[in-house]
Amino acid sequence: MQGRFWRFVAAAVLVNVAVAAPAEQQIKPVVEQVGEEVRFITCPIYRDTDAGRKSGCWLGDRRETGTRFDITGSPTKPDWNHAVLVEGRVVEGDTQQCGGVLLEPVRVSVLHDQNCTRHMLPAEGFTGRRFSLPTRNIRPLYEPRELPKPPYQEKSFDIPFDFGRDYIVYQLSDYYIDKAVKYAIDIDASRVEITGYAATTPTTVSGQTLREPAELALRRAEVAREWLRRMGYPLDRVKIRAQTKAKVSDMEGADGLTEPSRRRVTLRVIP
Amino acid sequence: MKLRRFRLGGAVAALLIACGSVGVATAEEDDRWWAPGEGRVFPATLDYPNEHGTLRVLLEGGPMETRGHPFFEPIGPYGRACVTCHQPADAMSLSAKSAQIQWERLGHKDPLFAPFDGSNCPDLPQEERESHSLLLDHGLIRIARPWPPRDFDGNPIKPDFDISVVRDPTGCNLSKEWGLPSPDPHISVYRRSRPVANFKYILAMGFNFDPKAGLPLPLDPETGEPASHNLMADGRVLSLASQMRDAASAHLGFLEELTPEDIDRIIDFEKRVFTAQQKNRFGGDVNAGGAEGGPLKLAESEPGRLGSQGIPVWSEFDAWANSDDPDISPEERAWRESVARGARNFRERMFLISDSAGITTPIGFGNPVRDRCAFCHNMSQMGMDVAPGQVDLGTTNLPFADPQPHLPLFKITCKAEPHPHYGREIYTYDPGYALTTGRCADVGRITLQSLRGLSARAPYFSNGSAKTLREVIEFYDRRYNIGYTEQEIEDLVNLMEAL
Repeated sequence: MQGRFWRFVAAAVLVNVAVAAPAEQQIKPVVEQVGEEVRFITCPIYRDTDAGRKSGCWLGDRRETGTRFDITGSPTKPDWNHAVLVEGRVVEGDTQQCGGVLLEPVRVSVLHDQNCTRHMLPAEGFTGRRFSLPTRNIRPLYEPRELPKPPYQEKSFDIPFDFGRDYIVYQLSDYYIDKAVKYAIDIDASRVEITGYAATTPTTVSGQTLREPAELALRRAEVAREWLRRMGYPLDRVKIRAQTKAKVSDMEGADGLTEPSRRRVTLRVIP
Repeated sequence: MKLRRFRLGGAVAALLIACGSVGVATAEEDDRWWAPGEGRVFPATLDYPNEHGTLRVLLEGGPMETRGHPFFEPIGPYGRACVTCHQPADAMSLSAKSAQIQWERLGHKDPLFAPFDGSNCPDLPQEERESHSLLLDHGLIRIARPWPPRDFDGNPIKPDFDISVVRDPTGCNLSKEWGLPSPDPHISVYRRSRPVANFKYILAMGFNFDPKAGLPLPLDPETGEPASHNLMADGRVLSLASQMRDAASAHLGFLEELTPEDIDRIIDFEKRVFTAQQKNRFGGDVNAGGAEGGPLKLAESEPGRLGSQGIPVWSEFDAWANSDDPDISPEERAWRESVARGARNFRERMFLISDSAGITTPIGFGNPVRDRCAFCHNMSQMGMDVAPGQVDLGTTNLPFADPQPHLPLFKITCKAEPHPHYGREIYTYDPGYALTTGRCADVGRITLQSLRGLSARAPYFSNGSAKTLREVIEFYDRRYNIGYTEQEIEDLVNLMEAL
């Protein structure tokens, strides 16, 4: 498996030598192993590929190893004015699209308090990724919706968050929280228990100590409560709590990534 | 006399255009202006010539008697009615040209030029043209917003930014009676009147979700129901009823509350009005040759549909892409094909969108993001945003906004988090949505509006900074470094003329 990966990388290097000189420097052997989970802070680089809407590439150099990663697949894309926390898994994949070793799944959190010099590369022969609608998306109101059938079960829903934020990530977290709130309303749940978590235990990433503020746990829980309120669920049936030092979870929305699985809100919906 | 439909021939239309604003009040111009309390009948179909062709206004279930109708009758001390600033000939908005004609006719005695908001500031000498220059030259109405802002229930919000006045050409923001130093502090911004038509679309909710806020749609405090949040440039009201109360007190000077019956009658009328360009001076009817332009299609279609998942935006004109109709002139064919190219360009021409709050933050599309006009103008048949559309295009914020020496300039200082694109200090002609939310991150965000009836209601953008449709396209070209060719600009302008 690993041998195939290196052959693939070598082939990619050769192809890119033919189309654009810089590509040889960008896709080079990396220290990381396929399957390894990486976590680093960097200034993002935008590559101006054009395969239609939302097809530009985002790259992030891991300063510790010199590897340039393709981080385009994150639900939250970078802002070229600010540093990003990158968390992802190294996979074999098509490096011809963007010109970086692929991370998938990958999560990007924008660190608004850390400024970067904006940098844009030309396409340099890379194709970019044609946009396709993510499978996790909220459907329009005008589409028919299937309602749950009794007997109703108690269910828990986990909502993922970016590092340091209480904003509901578009086409990821919204999908899960929408499902949770609609389930509570559809079954006329007797109670909803919301627990907000924050990853307050310090970790060191790219030489920086990262920890989420303790009050973020409550703010995340309050966002979930506001979803319930705005969608018409009675708040007198809602119990809210916050928990710091969040543990790793098996939350679906983290796609198996360790650290992102700590940053969440859990809605326990009780019939 | 006033009940007849307007179907002026090309020669008369040309005469009207030639007359411009020099004050030649033709009989046709008399009919174009709906003065408060005239008591006309509003017909089922009204056609008005404009410099690009003919605008059509449809009233579903019409005709309607306007005598005694609260949209048309003067209320308050100024003698104004809703129709004063929402003229049928101007696509239920108000063009600068119409304001100029009214000034030539009646000067400051026309209720349009009421001191409170039809002049640059109420404490200016009202009989002088200069005191009304923003309305006359730029089509701008004064909007006085409370400071600090108030939430939808009227409670003060603690803003996360300070605001100071850098330049005050109207004198209103530093006025001790009307401005920030007054006992009841207000900020005066100057905005275009929004069209009162096609509300089926403006009120439609395609999704019960505002991705720009990461929350479900806001609830109207009166009804407890979700609201589309696409009303008003700064999103300060959530329902037509609230908008009416806001307008009645702010623009009509009405000191009492509108009665529930009045509000119901106005809403009933507003929801039945559809308007769009019907005919082009080169290309003829916009629903000929297989195309489906014009207001009838609007009235008949389902609102709130996302073009990327259903009927593509402006695909009404796809049939004109390769017109083989032998009965049309080369000039007609060329125009129609240009419109079809413009529609395709609108949907497919990619460019890099950067530093535009509401697009590049807080949603994770990325900054920059490669997309096209239809990214935000995404609603089928209408071209507004299916999600609540408060976006900072840079029309009001420096350094992106074009110089507007006639407008006040404010300095915003963010006290908590800096703005993700501008940093801690922002210079703006209009803080927009931030005057509703009190958030520095919302400075310069303005609600997208309908793209219908554009030919009838110049100038454009919320602050009237684009005098022509061409200037609209040129602004985008500069702002996002798009690199449009002359042909692309012409195609997009022709498309907008057809809407």
